[in-house]
Formats: sequence, C-alpha cells, structure tokens
Amino acid sequence: MATSSSTPAPALSAPARQRPRQDRGAGPGVTFGRVLKSEWIKITTVPSTVILIACTVVVMVGLAALFAWSLTIMAQSVGDANAPSGFQPPPDGPESVAGQVLTVPSSGLAFGQLLIASLAVVLIASEWTTGMIRSTMIAVPKRIPALLAKAVIIAGVAFLVGFGSALVSYLVAQPILAGEDLGFALTDDNVLASIINTGTFLALVAVISMAIGILLRNTAGGVVTAVGVFFVLPIIVQLISGLADWIPKAARFLPADAGNQMVAITTADDALTQWEGGLVMGAWALVLLVLALVAAKKRDV
Amino acid sequence: MIEAQALSKRYGAKAAVDAVSFTVQPGRVTGFLGPNGAGKSTTMRMIMGLDNPTSGGVTVNGRPYAQHRAPLREVGALLDAKAVHPKRSAYNHLRAMAATHGIPNSRVRDVIELTGLGPVARKRVGGFSLGMGQRLGIAAALLGDPHTVILDEPVNGLDPEGVQWVRHLAKGLAAEGRTVFLSSHLMSEMALTADHLIVIGRGRIIADAPIQSIIDGQGRARVRVRADRPHDLLGSLAGNGVTSQVLEPELIEITGVEPRRIAEVALRERVLVYELTPLQVSLEDAYMELTQTEVEYQSHSLPSGNQGAAPVEGR
Repeated sequence: MATSSSTPAPALSAPARQRPRQDRGAGPGVTFGRVLKSEWIKITTVPSTVILIACTVVVMVGLAALFAWSLTIMAQSVGDANAPSGFQPPPDGPESVAGQVLTVPSSGLAFGQLLIASLAVVLIASEWTTGMIRSTMIAVPKRIPALLAKAVIIAGVAFLVGFGSALVSYLVAQPILAGEDLGFALTDDNVLASIINTGTFLALVAVISMAIGILLRNTAGGVVTAVGVFFVLPIIVQLISGLADWIPKAARFLPADAGNQMVAITTADDALTQWEGGLVMGAWALVLLVLALVAAKKRDV
Repeated sequence: MIEAQALSKRYGAKAAVDAVSFTVQPGRVTGFLGPNGAGKSTTMRMIMGLDNPTSGGVTVNGRPYAQHRAPLREVGALLDAKAVHPKRSAYNHLRAMAATHGIPNSRVRDVIELTGLGPVARKRVGGFSLGMGQRLGIAAALLGDPHTVILDEPVNGLDPEGVQWVRHLAKGLAAEGRTVFLSSHLMSEMALTADHLIVIGRGRIIADAPIQSIIDGQGRARVRVRADRPHDLLGSLAGNGVTSQVLEPELIEITGVEPRRIAEVALRERVLVYELTPLQVSLEDAYMELTQTEVEYQSHSLPSGNQGAAPVEGR
C-alpha cells in the first residue's frame, strides 16, 4: 500500500536496466595549454575588458604625443631670445629637452599603470564577486593551473599593451619632434630597452595587482590596494623621506620606484639600474603571486 | 559512484556536516533531502572539491574529484546557478569551460540544444531568469558527458514544464547507468524523481534507504471508511494501536489497520461499507516524522506537534 500511481516503481531503475558505460572519463583531460585557451576565451568575451584595453592603448599614445608636442614648444622657447626670464632650463643632461625626448615613448606609463592595475584586479576579483570562480574551479579543480593561466594571459596582454603603446608612441612622436629637429632613433641610448620595458613593467604591475586581487577576493578593495601600492605609497614615502636617511634608500626597493627605473634612459649614481629595478620588481611579483596561489589552493572557494 | 567516509565540515564550533558516511550508487536517482541549512550544499561542495573537509573524505568514481585527469568528463555538477560572469553570453561561458578539457564547440551547441537555451545562448547571462540560469548550470554539468551528475536544487525557479524536464533528464541519466545525485528540500519532488533517498538533518544522515521503505517504515496505514454504522465497526476493530477519528456521522478515518482487515470485520459484523480508501502516506509526512525526531532528539523543549521543517531551521 501507500504507493501512488505517480511514484516510480523501483523496478524502473533496477540493476537490470543498468548499462555501465565503458567510456567513462574517456577523452582529452585538463592541460595547461587548454586552460590557457579557456582563460583567453574568458578575457575576450567580456566586452568591457576589451574596451578598457583599447582605451588604455589610445590614452597612452595620446599622452605621449601631447608630451612630445609640449617638448617642441619648450624647445622653441629655449631658442627664443624673448623667453620669459624665469624660465631657464638647464642647457644639457637628462633634464634638457634633448634628454627628455627620449622618455616620450614611455611617458604614458603612469596612466597605463593605473589602468592595467585596475584591470588586473577586476579580472581576477570579479571571478569571486560574480561566482564564476566556482565554475572555474570545478573545471580545473587543482586550482593553481587556472590562476597561473590567467596570470600568464593578463601579463601577456599587459606586456603587449605597454610595448605596443610605447612603440606606437615613438612612431607618432617622430613627425611631431622632427619640426624642432628633436627626432631620435630606436638605436639611441636605451631607447629600445625603455620601450620594451614599458611592456615588461606593465606585465609585472598586472601580476602584482592580480595577486592582490586573489588575496582580497574583492574588486573595490583590490583596486584601492593596488593603486595605493603604485601611487599613494611613493607619495607618502616622498613626504617622510626627510625624517631619516634610510627612508629614501629603502624606498628605491618599492615596486613603483623600482619599476620606474626599468624604463629610465639614464640612472643617477645612487639609483637602481634598469636591470636592478627589473629584478626588484620581478621579485615583488613572484613573492606576491606565490602567496596568492598558496592562499587560493588552501581556501574554500 | 560517490563515497563519503566520515565527512565533516566545521565552521568554528558549529558542525555544518557531522561525520556523514554514505554511498551513492550508479543506475538510479539518489535524492538528497533535508531542510535548508541541513548541510546538503556543503556536502556537495566538498564532493566537488570547492570546500575542504575538516575531517573525513569523499571520492567520486574512486578518487577525490580534484585527482581526476579529466574531472568534467567524470562528474558534472550544478551547484549554484549564479556561478557565471553576468556580462558573458551563455555560449561563451560554456565554450570557456569546455576549452579546459578540449571539449569541441559542437558539444557546447549540443548541450545548449538539450537544455533549451538555444534562443538565449548569445545573450548576456546577467539578464537570465532564475530558470534560465538553472538550465545553463545543467548544460555546464552535462558538457563532459559525465558518468556522475550532481545537481543541487535543480528545479529551483523552473516552470512546471522545466520541472518535468529535469525529472525526465535525471531518470534518463540514471537509466543509462549513470550516478545521479539530486538535492532538494521539496519532499514531493523527491517522491516523483528519486529511487533512493538520503535524508540529512542538522549535518547528520537521518535515513539512507530506498524511497519505498522510507514511506513504508515511517508511515502507518490510514484508511478512510464510509459505513452506515461506523461505531459498531470501530468497536470491533478497537485495541492494538488502532486509532480513529470520526469526521462525519458516517465517515471515519482509521489508522493502524490494513484495509483488508477492516473489510473482514465489516463482513463479520454485517456493517454496510460504501467507501474504503487507503490513504497515501506522503513522503512529506514521512520526512516530517524523520526530521522531527532529529529535532526532538537534539532539544527537549520543543512541542511534539507536527510543525513541519520550521523547527529545524528556527531552533
């Protein structure tokens, strides 16, 4: 008794009807290459991400062009006998107009840094805020390959944005600078290295920001923290640097300060060289990424 | 096949899942029934490796989920319809998941077709109704054509047609020899879909048995009788745990005795019976009884009235 007509009779699913599949689990499994492809699909299929990346390139090139134009005006006023008496740029050295033009390709960096840092935090933290991380971690339950693949993709995109913007900035700036005979070649001192490192620096900014995003799992908090590390911290250090001798010395090893040395054309005696800056910045990125991966592996999703 | 061994999850002092052990067999639909907050979702999240157990362990097809070479081809899970980036389209979401296992786009289109997502596949998931979100979650679960399918509250937010579709899907997958593990707090849904039931309350397994034996074991025979002299009938039936309730002068409900026995007594006593209806002991009643016991066992101050699942949550 007590059986209604709508209750399925157990016989319906009795072992007799079982057809154990022989092919279970057959077919390709998870590889790092496939996870990379998946992360590439993810980054290219959210329209706002693509738009933000395009805007970053446009603005970085635009800022470089503006800077080049302002340098030509400075050059004109230097050559002009009727220049305002208070305006006396040094005649030579890195502060001269001729020295400054070499930094034109990387001049959009401060802005690019801000956008790439925000973008990297948003891309990873949104996995948690939207709940997408659960789908990601179910597809790649070992977790670390998924996060590493995302880091590779974001760093790769950031490198291309930085390198591409700097190269285009160089090309765009040449006709502007040519008017005042300020043009320069890619083969001039450290120019090409500076252009490449604009990309490298942004790639490392992206990795550091992504690590912050993983650790905080929160978009707003992550963006604020990343901006704090790259923009606010250097300002605070600047303000208190007079308090003790060691402060400015230690400040050279902050990510933002070290990273900026990577794109420098010339370096002061007590400053880090381009290579040292890159290594310090790379060490920050590596340590934070490892911390983030360990945390993500241990935590509940 | 899913095997949990003394699986526990604690949040501070509170045990969300308390040393549960169970096996989910292939070839049948196993229902995972319990009130909200009983530990169903936490258990499923531990099966899928999203939450780490505090102690104990759980394997799927012989291994912890994360140890499989091709996890999506072993186990498909719908844990949460909102595990999607709202600005991505359904098609691209599934494509990104499929890419991790080299699952071709043709399979992505197949599961879209199968779940009826075709018309909205290119739209942003953010605009989906709850029902569409559930269908997308089920599509993702089926991507790898897995041997084991885990669905957490799959009929949530579905329209009647969708509910029926999930029911057929679950039974169909089980009939193909797959392991199907389905959670719900809707007893009525389980009665229609599941072959086997694991009932959980307050993080502990209360019952683990074929659905029929849960109904039989917990319920008692209840019969509605219309007779012209009901009191004579009751007089002869009285004793031995038989209880009755007179609803109308000629309508009574008798509990604790089989219909055949009532008919025999009526024949002997020459009482005219013109209705004899065995009443279905609903799974819901059985479930209430099961969880009620668990609550009473835990806290002695609750009244024993049939208050439904509410005391379990409100305690």
